[in-house]
Amino acid sequence: MVMDVGTGLALIGAGLAVGAAGIGTGLAQAQIGAAAVGATAEDPKMFGKGMILLVLPETIIILGFVIAILLWLKS
Amino acid sequence: MLRPEEMTRTVIVGSMDGLDPTVECLYELGVLHLMDFTKPDEDFKLGSPLPSASDSSQKLLKLRSMIRSLELEGYKPDQKLSVDEIGKRLEQALMTLDVNTTSKIDARQKAKTLIREKEGEIRALDPLKDFGVPIENYDGYSGISVFAGICKIDPTGDIQSRLKEFEFLSSQMKGAVAVALFVANEEKSEAVKILSEAGYQETKVPKLTGQPAAVIARNREEISDLQADLARIEADIEGIRKRFADFIISSEEDLSIKVLKAETPLRFAATANSFVIDGWVPKSKIEALSGALDKSCGGGAYLEVIEPEEEEPPVKLRNPKSIKPFEFFINLVSTPKYDEIDPTLILFITFPIFFGFMVGDLGFGAGLIVLGAVIRLKLKGYPDLLKLGTIIIVAGLLASIFGAFVYCEAFGVPFHPEDEGQTSWEGLVNIPLHPLLEKMRDVLELLGFAVIAGWLHLTVGFAFGFFNNIHHNWKHAVGKIAWIVILLGIFTMLMSIGNYPPETNKFMRATILSPLQPDVRVDLGGMGIEVAISSLVLLVIGIPMLVVTEGAKALMEIIGLFTNLISYARLAALAVGKGAMAFAFNSMLLPIILGGSGIGGVAIAVLAAVALVVVQLFFVFFLGSLSAGIQAMRLNYVEFFLKFFEGGGTDFKPLSYERKYSVATK
Repeated sequence: MVMDVGTGLALIGAGLAVGAAGIGTGLAQAQIGAAAVGATAEDPKMFGKGMILLVLPETIIILGFVIAILLWLKS
Repeated sequence: MLRPEEMTRTVIVGSMDGLDPTVECLYELGVLHLMDFTKPDEDFKLGSPLPSASDSSQKLLKLRSMIRSLELEGYKPDQKLSVDEIGKRLEQALMTLDVNTTSKIDARQKAKTLIREKEGEIRALDPLKDFGVPIENYDGYSGISVFAGICKIDPTGDIQSRLKEFEFLSSQMKGAVAVALFVANEEKSEAVKILSEAGYQETKVPKLTGQPAAVIARNREEISDLQADLARIEADIEGIRKRFADFIISSEEDLSIKVLKAETPLRFAATANSFVIDGWVPKSKIEALSGALDKSCGGGAYLEVIEPEEEEPPVKLRNPKSIKPFEFFINLVSTPKYDEIDPTLILFITFPIFFGFMVGDLGFGAGLIVLGAVIRLKLKGYPDLLKLGTIIIVAGLLASIFGAFVYCEAFGVPFHPEDEGQTSWEGLVNIPLHPLLEKMRDVLELLGFAVIAGWLHLTVGFAFGFFNNIHHNWKHAVGKIAWIVILLGIFTMLMSIGNYPPETNKFMRATILSPLQPDVRVDLGGMGIEVAISSLVLLVIGIPMLVVTEGAKALMEIIGLFTNLISYARLAALAVGKGAMAFAFNSMLLPIILGGSGIGGVAIAVLAAVALVVVQLFFVFFLGSLSAGIQAMRLNYVEFFLKFFEGGGTDFKPLSYERKYSVATK
């Protein structure tokens, strides 16, 4: 498959968008998750609230995903 | 459906003669949420327990201690006893149990302690048994120090060379040396040094007399006697347990219910001759309660409906049986307030659709239906799991429907080959269904659907917010309308930029969005980005409206709203991700499985088939379903709920009880 340099760079960018956003989400969720599990252990009623807080950073990777799709379209 | 059960504030007043039947009647109907009486004054005091309370509690205490000593916790009786029978047998049975069990349990404890003691003595005397020195001679000297125990290495040489006046005995044991050293006090410190170098461990010589070997033999005999006794006692206890287990569990439950009822008056107001019960009753149940009170108390108690003051009524969600399991999701967060909209119906609609859209596979969907059915059948005793089972079945059903009609694939394998030579179900069956969307190719269309779903979902959320606020804060209510207008503006803008995704976009512009004229565009900022004029108009209307109603701070949240909308892209992301994962495993392993020939080929094919089943089951089925479930839940909790839901309502908890192991008699 022959591919020009611009396309290749765009695809690398798409990969970076998903990969780096994933790392960011992971870092954020690691701490929130630990705290949420702690809170739930003390009071099981906290599960719902903990869950909401835990999943908030997931939007970061979704944004990364959307950017990747846009880059992929451009390529 | 969207509103909880309507509650009325109810007061029941009666004379003390009618107290017993009134309490009985309230528990049988289970419709009154009692408001605890907390402020006694000169006229009204807290009620006192019914006369039966103290007797019942005492018996209950005895039964519970029996349950502990007979180790009956968690035992499920084979047969349920009737309340009548329990009443008849209780006195006699408690007496028998008291006499037999208590003495048996004590005897068992005593025997166990004795056995432990004797075994300890044997352990302590074991190193000394070959020395021939009576036990009493190891103690009671003024000028001599005695060491008795075991060493890791033999200290004989050191002792003979470094000590002057001593008596030393040693014998080989398994992996160690038993030693007894009698040494003059002056040389004690040297002896300690030598012994500690040899890894000495002291044995605590018991205060007994006679030869160690003889004592050990005697103890062994006694232990075997005690063990025989213990076995006899255990057998007796087992007999008692077998004979009384059902009775104990049934009557414990019955007595708990009796005590619960008898202590209820402690929660309401009473004078010397009358009582006042204050609480909430569902409006639909008032008639029934009033009738039942008249019947059982014969005019001894009166029910009156009063105007509530500033109190929040308790919340009893009112949903049809098919939707009820989805209240599980609401309970995980918080009970809605009494005047809030109950979002269970929307969860019932959106959760399975989101889930089905993400999983979208006939094979895995069918698997989920089976899994849900198994959970429902096997775990009947857990109400929460029962609800979860139903939710899994519904979600699996939608996943199957999406799999069969939209994506047309089962277990990640398409019904018809998408590329030349791709493995498909055509080799086995020809299913006359063709995909409307292909997970791996139509990513853009999937994204389009996801954003449309987000727009609808969020709009419903804001609409709920409008209805929640309209009665007490019209400003907030108008603010929600402003949000709906802004959301529509953002959505129209997204749909008009660059005409992506092609098909979905064309459809939306031709139908729902056509009144907004999305094709009449303007170049935004001269950068070649064309957007629909109507979208800008909507923003120009919506944003000032928002500033007026919610304040300038709300402007910041417009970016948040945009992120919320994009957040629904996860629906497409998961669908594509799961599709890609199943595709990857299949395209690696299916050719090996189908291409095997000869004995070696078949063996490899079988191995590959096992590997495929394991990875598909674990990665695609379990992890995929789990993440799809969490994402479908999250879209509801975060994007949807935060638009209108406050929660913090009080659950409706009527006076009632549950009988599992006993049967009420009329």
